[in-house]
Amino acid sequence: MSSTTRRYRRMACTGLALVLPLAALAACGGGSGGDTSADAGSGSGTISVWAHQGQKSEDAALQNAVKSFNSSQDKIKVELKLIPGNDYTKTITATDASKLPDVMEFDGPTMANFVYNKKLAAIDDYVSVKTMSNATPAAKAQGEIDGKHYGLGMYDSGLGIYGNKKLLDAAGVKYPTGLSDDWTAAEFTAAVQKLAAKDSDRKSLDLQENNGYANEWGTYGFAPVVWSAGGSLLKDGKAEGALDAPAVVSAMKTFQSWKTYVDSNTDGNAFAKGRVALSWVGHWMYPTYSEALGDDLVVLPLPDFGNGPKTGQGSWAWGIGAGSKNGKAAGTFLDYLLDDANVTAMTTANGAPPATRTALAKSELYKQGGPLQLYADQLAKPCGDSDITKTCVAVTRPLTAGYPTVTAKFSEALNAVYGGADPKSALEKAARAIDQDFSDNAGYKIQ
Amino acid sequence: MTSAQPARPARSKPRNRDWLHGLLMSTPAVAGLIAFVGIPFGYAVVLSFYNVRLGSPLAPSFFGVEQYRRLFTDPDLSGPFLRALLNNLTFAVVVVPLQTGLALALAILLNRKLKAIGLFRSLFFMPVVFPMTLVAVIWRLILARSDQGLLNSALHAVSFGNWGAFDWLGDAATAMASIIVLSVWQGVGFQMVILLAGLQQIPGELYEAAELDRASRWQQFRHVTLPGIRGTLVFVAMLTSVLAFRVFDQVYVLVHGGGLDEDATRTVMYQAVTTAFDQNNIGQASAITVVFFLIVVALTLIQRRVVRPDNED
Repeated sequence: MSSTTRRYRRMACTGLALVLPLAALAACGGGSGGDTSADAGSGSGTISVWAHQGQKSEDAALQNAVKSFNSSQDKIKVELKLIPGNDYTKTITATDASKLPDVMEFDGPTMANFVYNKKLAAIDDYVSVKTMSNATPAAKAQGEIDGKHYGLGMYDSGLGIYGNKKLLDAAGVKYPTGLSDDWTAAEFTAAVQKLAAKDSDRKSLDLQENNGYANEWGTYGFAPVVWSAGGSLLKDGKAEGALDAPAVVSAMKTFQSWKTYVDSNTDGNAFAKGRVALSWVGHWMYPTYSEALGDDLVVLPLPDFGNGPKTGQGSWAWGIGAGSKNGKAAGTFLDYLLDDANVTAMTTANGAPPATRTALAKSELYKQGGPLQLYADQLAKPCGDSDITKTCVAVTRPLTAGYPTVTAKFSEALNAVYGGADPKSALEKAARAIDQDFSDNAGYKIQ
Repeated sequence: MTSAQPARPARSKPRNRDWLHGLLMSTPAVAGLIAFVGIPFGYAVVLSFYNVRLGSPLAPSFFGVEQYRRLFTDPDLSGPFLRALLNNLTFAVVVVPLQTGLALALAILLNRKLKAIGLFRSLFFMPVVFPMTLVAVIWRLILARSDQGLLNSALHAVSFGNWGAFDWLGDAATAMASIIVLSVWQGVGFQMVILLAGLQQIPGELYEAAELDRASRWQQFRHVTLPGIRGTLVFVAMLTSVLAFRVFDQVYVLVHGGGLDEDATRTVMYQAVTTAFDQNNIGQASAITVVFFLIVVALTLIQRRVVRPDNED
């Protein structure tokens, strides 16, 4: 290399370093106007809508709702964009607030972060009073921060264990009938082992391994193990002492011990095809499972690790982007989306508990005596996100802007534990990382 | 590099103009490099000294070398990071010779006049056309840990039922090997095509002459083929090493839905992306990429020193 080129290279490098404006930092954090209310607009025109791509039936229900909305009136035209569910939250996170659509779906626990980042506008001014008052208490609570509402869901969610009655009876396994006579973790483990002994491939349990655990499914599906053991993901803004409590560690050891009996469920059909007798999953598998098993399907609560049975709660919800110039039209569309016809179509498609009072009252699945009564019973005993007692069942994931880190670290630890890592050190590591992140961000106070 | 002194003293003007022309001609490429590599990297360096969050309402605060300190001394962070570096290195050290060698073997195999040779060539090239994410999803089915997994059931059949279910992706010992195998399978066709082009440039007379001299097949390969494609081979090896350091897609896809052992296969790119976009921690992710950049540049320079393509031919 000749000395001239070297000199020029050095000059170029120095120049480059000088030209870089530090102000550009603002583009990467902070600096956004701080205005979190959408403009009302004229109430007509085209509005963009982002939603997550879920199961085929859910997508179809949503597309139909959009189609019928567009043909029912000619003032507002809705353009729907579906984004793969696994990357949906990342997409919103990485998109600048001004580029977000008028109406967007978001996963319940991520809402606080989007409010904190000024990506969501309060919907109180744009959604009709009727729609607001028709939301179930649980759904309304999920969307509320400091007295303002940022989101409303069409449906809520719950976890349970689906059982194959024929296989359970053949193995002589006793199973609970409801929340009151729930199985303990030890009883559940014994049942799993007994079933596995009778099974040709020695696998008797499905934990939806095909979804992976280092993601939101890991947190949603298995945080109940933490809660049921008497711990929590976050207590008073700190994970240390809550997430790595001895009871949680031993519960995680139990969870780890199940892996031998778990079908990897690569085809997603382990339970539907009868390869396993138990499936630990949410309400959303009901349509598939009931079609496959018919009357042989039983719905059971998650096992009790000492602090009473627990389940996750909360689900996808709809909100209005903070940068929207057409809040009124967005509100009109949300009113339409949350009416009985659309909520019922959606909850029929995914088997979820409806999040509006009128639709819930009409629900064939969730009424008393209905096949999914258990889920309704669970949601009727809400804990909120901090007051996790022995008697309440449905726990809300931590309502904090730091949730992305909480879920990333917890699910990473869960995945490592499932893969054979030591639960104690994995949970301690996760707790330390979460606390570090909270202290870096001044506790994620929403301004 | 010293060149022999020209006999006449060189006039300085034309040389200056040459330099100017050279600069003018390279401007588009250099501008692209600066815009798409230089500036973003400059940003990364700056950002790594700040506590910056994706979309956070808090203004970025100056962090000094805290991000780097954590990266190297905080046990929770440095453990995974150093492990990721090691994983990357392992991947590169295994993949580069393996993939280059395999590509050469395939290229020689397919460098002959056969009926329907085009069909064979496109068969071997096909995986390159598929996106890596898709390939990862397919291999998830091959490597599935149940006895329904394609590989497990094949081994079960071959071993007369003595092979049970083995967790290829979840076992720390075989997780990286699985990633390596699927990566080579996906990428080898690309290098093969480049080497094939190199092989076809070797004049046939050389082989005829070698045959007249009674050179064996092996001798022909050693003394005609290899020198003929030396430049191509060096280029392919360099390209493969750079690509090997960028490994990300397959690890990401398989960790997030294939039961892959995260610790055993975590790569630096994977860590940077998850830090930036799962935990919104841009400052930390920038520090990771800066350190990684320096390491890759150093390794590339060493590689350039060791295998310098001949400019004499």
